[in-house]
Formats: sequence, structure tokens, C-alpha cells
Amino acid sequence: MAAAATCSTGTRSTGSVVAAASRNSVTSFQRRGPRASGTDSGCSRLVSIAGTRPSVRNGQLLVSTGLPALDQLLGGGLAVGTVLLIEEDKYNIYSPLLFKYFLAEGIVTGHTLLVASAKEDPADILQELPAPLLDDNCKKECDEDIYNHKTESNIKMKIAWRYQLLPKMEQARPVSSSRFGHYYDVSKRIPQELIEASKWHGFFLPEKISSTLNLEPCSLSHSYIKLLQFIQNIIYEEGFDGSNPQKKQKNILRIGIQNLGSPLWGDDICWTENCDSNHSLTKFLYMLRGLLRSSLSACIITVPTHLIQNKAIIARVTNLSDTVVGLESFIGSEKETNPLYKDYHGLIHIRQIPQLNNLIYDVSDVKDLAFKLKRKLFTIEWVQDNYLRQERNIYPPGFSYLLKQKDSAWGEGSLQHSTFLMSFLAKATAFASRLVRHSEPLEQTGSGGIRQAAGPRLWHDGPRQEAPGLLVIPP
Amino acid sequence: VTPSEGVRRGTRRILEMLESLLALGGLVLLRDSVEWEGRSLLKALIKKSALCGEQVHILGCEVSEEEFREGFDSNINSRLVYHDLFRDPLNWSETGETLPGGPLEALRALCRRTHPGPVTIALDSLSWLLLHLPCTTLCQTLHTLSHQDSCRGDSSPGEQVHVLGLLHEELHGPGPLGVLSSLAQTEVTLSGAMGQASAHVLYRRPQQRPTHQTQWFSILPDFSLELQGGPPLEPQPYPDPRVPSMDPTTHLTFNLRLSKKEREAKDSLTLPFQFSSEKQQALLCPGLGQATSHIFYEPDAYDDLDQEDPDDDLDV
Repeated sequence: MAAAATCSTGTRSTGSVVAAASRNSVTSFQRRGPRASGTDSGCSRLVSIAGTRPSVRNGQLLVSTGLPALDQLLGGGLAVGTVLLIEEDKYNIYSPLLFKYFLAEGIVTGHTLLVASAKEDPADILQELPAPLLDDNCKKECDEDIYNHKTESNIKMKIAWRYQLLPKMEQARPVSSSRFGHYYDVSKRIPQELIEASKWHGFFLPEKISSTLNLEPCSLSHSYIKLLQFIQNIIYEEGFDGSNPQKKQKNILRIGIQNLGSPLWGDDICWTENCDSNHSLTKFLYMLRGLLRSSLSACIITVPTHLIQNKAIIARVTNLSDTVVGLESFIGSEKETNPLYKDYHGLIHIRQIPQLNNLIYDVSDVKDLAFKLKRKLFTIEWVQDNYLRQERNIYPPGFSYLLKQKDSAWGEGSLQHSTFLMSFLAKATAFASRLVRHSEPLEQTGSGGIRQAAGPRLWHDGPRQEAPGLLVIPP
Repeated sequence: VTPSEGVRRGTRRILEMLESLLALGGLVLLRDSVEWEGRSLLKALIKKSALCGEQVHILGCEVSEEEFREGFDSNINSRLVYHDLFRDPLNWSETGETLPGGPLEALRALCRRTHPGPVTIALDSLSWLLLHLPCTTLCQTLHTLSHQDSCRGDSSPGEQVHVLGLLHEELHGPGPLGVLSSLAQTEVTLSGAMGQASAHVLYRRPQQRPTHQTQWFSILPDFSLELQGGPPLEPQPYPDPRVPSMDPTTHLTFNLRLSKKEREAKDSLTLPFQFSSEKQQALLCPGLGQATSHIFYEPDAYDDLDQEDPDDDLDV
């Protein structure tokens, strides 16, 4: 607790001590900073591509998803060569927003875009991208956002003070164009000149497939084959896979595919549970991932998983993608009236984060993330007072009424609260352990052996004694 | 409110309901069931579109042309372009009257129409088409049909295409229903209570939150809509009004409110795990009487004071 606090200040102070030492030249140990060398592009081994940065954990090259809050939750950003799968919300309102953020980020950082859709013309999608917030005009908006947030977070917690140590979500800060993640204003459209200055390729399915084509059933739907060929051609011609050595400047290809798996792509999986083309989408994802892994590209896909009838296909699709983010909006569900969620528009679930060149996952500890679409920003936050909700679930019903009272003697940090909590939890564990305890000793095997039954009895050191009081069956 | 004003308000509301159903354009999905049929609402919408001067194409698959046209007066009937798929869908009589290529070709012909101006296409019914066409083809064709104006380039609101599809809910599983709901811009579910029909309408505007409303209505024999207030209320047996719930704050054995002095005392209390400077001092320089700590132990009935370790018997 306090020791931890002193430790963190300690590391900062050691850093400054070293810096001071190097300044005074007392020690010969020079601390090599990340930008100690003068020019980084010349002598660093990593190719520096605009809009990317190496991950601090494993050096993987990352691109931003367009939402710095989402980048933070995904461990820094989206790794180049991977697929980000967005599970659409029921009415498809918020997933196109994440899709557009991804594409807008590509335009702002100068990446090449490839937009594929069966529903809307890619040119129309690009027209609707949000406008980037640049340094000068975002300062006053950020200030008012920070002010609003500060007034809310003034509740000091006395007993559950560890929850105050939770890292705060990134607030909107004025950004420069060379920064990794940018902020966008959803209420404005991206300026036309930015779109014209960018390089993009569109794949609109009704144009590419003539309607009179006689579709023989085959394992991979024709639309998917056409899309894969298109992506492969672009990667090859523009040299994203390194096949065009004359290219001096390396760039990233950002691929966006909308509504994959819906019947508009010629896929049956939203229709019935057992259909002929059960494996069409999974094969497509497998081949797409192969294409991505061998090229400098990153892909975002939105899939209407709420329409897919066969749950096994959803599981397969999730496994074949690298990063999976699910959106659940509250519209029309009973959570809309839940007072806990009244400030938010939906929940965002980080279902999967890839293990790239790693042995362990990088899953965030916090499970309850909610999003809110404000007029200009899409924000992701932790659901407030979550621990209190969990506590209410274990308390007897009448007690939660008392907890809700402001200024009550039973509030946070009071002696009554803590003693009640301790005795209640003690009784709860006693009850639970009574059910776990074996009432008879185990079968004896062999001559000697353990004479006592398995249970809490064995877990005490020293002479076999029962802990007084707590683990006795209550009378 | 004078009676004439009431009537005017009523007609305005009737017009509003039909207009609002057609306002968004695109695919209007009418979901009906055996109990509450939707063909009369479909015909009411067709009549409204015809009276507004739009071209109306009807793809009739489930009922014969005569049966469909009955109830419309002659000027409306003259505006309806009827494509008959009921009498001879597979073209067995080979008279050349039916459309070659079946229903798919008929839909594609509607996609390719070159007449400018607003048009309404009524599909009677989508269920029939779902059973006879592969689902993905139907979805793609429906999408092309309902987005014809954007393909053409000029998207003035007068040039909207309305596709009215009648869907029988009970014939299909959750998959097709979910997919068609996601394709539709307006979705009307017909239900009712006690002889009164109601329509639950869900409007899906692009990139906005969907809105919904419920409207009680009845359709007159000439296929005009009359709005009702609601089903005639029946006295339902309610449970006896309970004893008014007790206020839990009365008769408490503990304090629910804090006085100012108590609050100050509470705030100034140092909690045991808080590391204050006094505690730090106490730990750093152990005072008198704190050198050793005593443990007082009283063995109770279950205690086994045998010093012998039972694991000594193990023959491992």
C-alpha cells in the first residue's frame, strides 16, 4: 500500500538520480535513452514508417486503430499483419463508427486504404469519415471534457482505496500530426482535400460481380474469391509484400471490410444453422490472414455475429481473427433502464488479444468497459462504482438500501460497515466450507497412510488443530 | 375541439402513419402472422402510393390477380402494374404470358427499369420468394432494388424507391427474420389484442438510433386506414392492493443519519490500514511494553495436542 506508493516514486527518483549523475559525470555508466542517437532513421534497424511505432512490450510494429482509448486497451495498438474483428452491435450504429475511425487514421497518417463493402459504395464511406482534431481547435474542447471528468471523480474511497489506483483512461489531449493516435470529431466530415490527397482502392461487390453469373456451389463463395484476388493484386502491385524493390518509401496498407458474413456477400451463415457454405467465411479469413502476415498491412473487419445462427461458426471466426472486439449496445435491451448504465450507450468487450511472438496474453484486468457516443467523440470508460454493485450482490437485500443512503452511518469507511462485512463474510465462508468438508475420512489404502480426511484440517502447520471458531459448523 | 377539427386531426394522423411508413424509403418489411394478416395493410400502402402519383409495380405470387385487385377502385387499378407469378410460375402452359426466368428475372427486370420518378414495388409475398429463391440472391436483389436511386446518382427525395415486402413470420426461423430486419429501413410487426390490430413500427435511420412506435388501427373495406385509440379495456383481475409497504427507515435499532459532530468524528478516524505518521513512529521506535507480544490460547474440544506427527507412519 504505502510501500507500493513509495516504490513508484522511488523508480522515478532513481531515474532522475541517474540523469543527475550523468550530468555530473560522477559515474561512467551512461544511460542510453531511446533517442540518444541523433538521427533515428539512419542508424536504427527498424524501418520507421509514418503512423507506426514499435510496441513497448515485444517490439512488434503497431498501427493505431484511430481511437487512442482502444489502442490502450489492445496493448498499444493493432499489430501490423493482423486482423481486427469487430462484432457488430444489433442495429449496426456503432461498429461503422469504429470502421471509419480506422480508415480516417489511415488517411491522416498517409497510409494506403483498401475499402471493401457489399452494402455501400466505398467512395460514399470515405465521404463520411470523421474530421481529425488538430492542435488549434481541439484545445478548448479538450479542456471542457477534462473539466467535466474532474468534477465526477472527486469521490474518495476510504476502504476500497485500491480502486483509485486503477489507471485512468486517456483523455483527449491536443495532438500533433506526428503523434501515434489522433482524435476525431464525429460531427464533422473529413475535408475533401485530405481524401483526394490519399491513396485508396475500393471494392464494391455489386459492381464486381455481374448478377447474371450462374453461381455453382463451391466451398468458397465467389464474392470472397473475388475479394481475395483483389486484395492480393493490390498487395503485389503496390509492393506491400516487398516484391517491388524499387519502392523507396515503405507504407502500410489498411484494409477495411464491412459486414463480412452477411448475405449481401453471398454467405449463408446468417440464414440457417447448417448450410452448404459453412466454411466459406472461415476459409476466407484463413487466406486473408495468410495474405496479411506476409505483407505490411492491417485489416479491420466487421461481422454481424448477432445474426450468425451457428455458434460454432462464431467461435471459429473468433479464433481465426487476431484481435476481437465486441460491441453490445443497450438499445432495446433491458440494460437500457439499468441505472448503472444510464450514462453509457453500450458495452465494449475485448474478447481476444493476440499472442504474437509472446508466451503470455496481454489482457487488461478490467472487464467492464462501456462506451458512449458523445456529440463529437466516441469514448470508452470503465463502468463506475462497479465494485459496489458486486458487493450488493453478496449482501442481503435490505442492506443495499442502507448502502445507497448518502451520509449514512453505514456508508463507506464506517466501523459498522466493516464489522458487518467481516462477520457476514465469515459466516458465508463458514457455510461454504461446511459443504466442502468431507464428513468421513478417505478410504484407507495400504498399511499406513494418511489417517485424516482431506480438508482444512491438513492445511495448518504444527500440531493438527482446527482454527478456533470460524470453521466449526454453526449450531 | 370541434368535431370537424377532430376529424381533420384524425385524418392528419392517418396520413402521418402511412406517410411515416413510406418516409424512409428503401425496404418496408411487413411482418404478419396467421392471426393478424398484413395484406390489407399492404394494399392500403399501395393505394396511398398510387394516389400520390407514383408508379406501382406488384409482384403477385400468393393470390390471384383478381383477388388482389378487388377492393381497389378503377382509377387505382389502372395505375397498378401487376406481374403475375401466381397462375403459372414455372411457365408450364407456355403461352408466353408469364415472365421468362421466373421470379428472379422479374425482380431483376424491376431493378433495371429506366423510367424516372418515384416508384413503389410491392412484393406479395417475400415468404414465397424466400422459399423459391436462394436466400443470398434474394437479399442482394432486394438491396439493389431498394438502393436504386443512389446508384443512379441523383438522390432527390422525390425519386425514392419504396419496396414493400410482406413476410409471414411463422414460416421462417430466426435467421431469415433477423437478416431481413437488418436489411429493412422500416419494419412493421402486426399484432393485436381483443380484435384490434396494432402495428409496431421500427424505423432504422442510417447511423441514428432506431425509433419505434406502436399504433392501433383498423383497415376499412376501401383500404383506407383508420386509427384507433387502443383495445377496448377489459377489467382485468388485479391482485388485491397490497398493504402499503413499510418505510424501512422506521424502528431501526441503529443510526441511519449522522449528525455533524458524528460525521466529523468519522472523517477524522484513522482506519487501521492507513499509514499515518503516528503509526510510522510507533513502528520505527518500539515503545515500552510492546517488545513482546503475547498469544493467549485456550484449547477447545477438537484440539489434538498430540505432538506425534501422523506422517511419521508413512512408508514412502
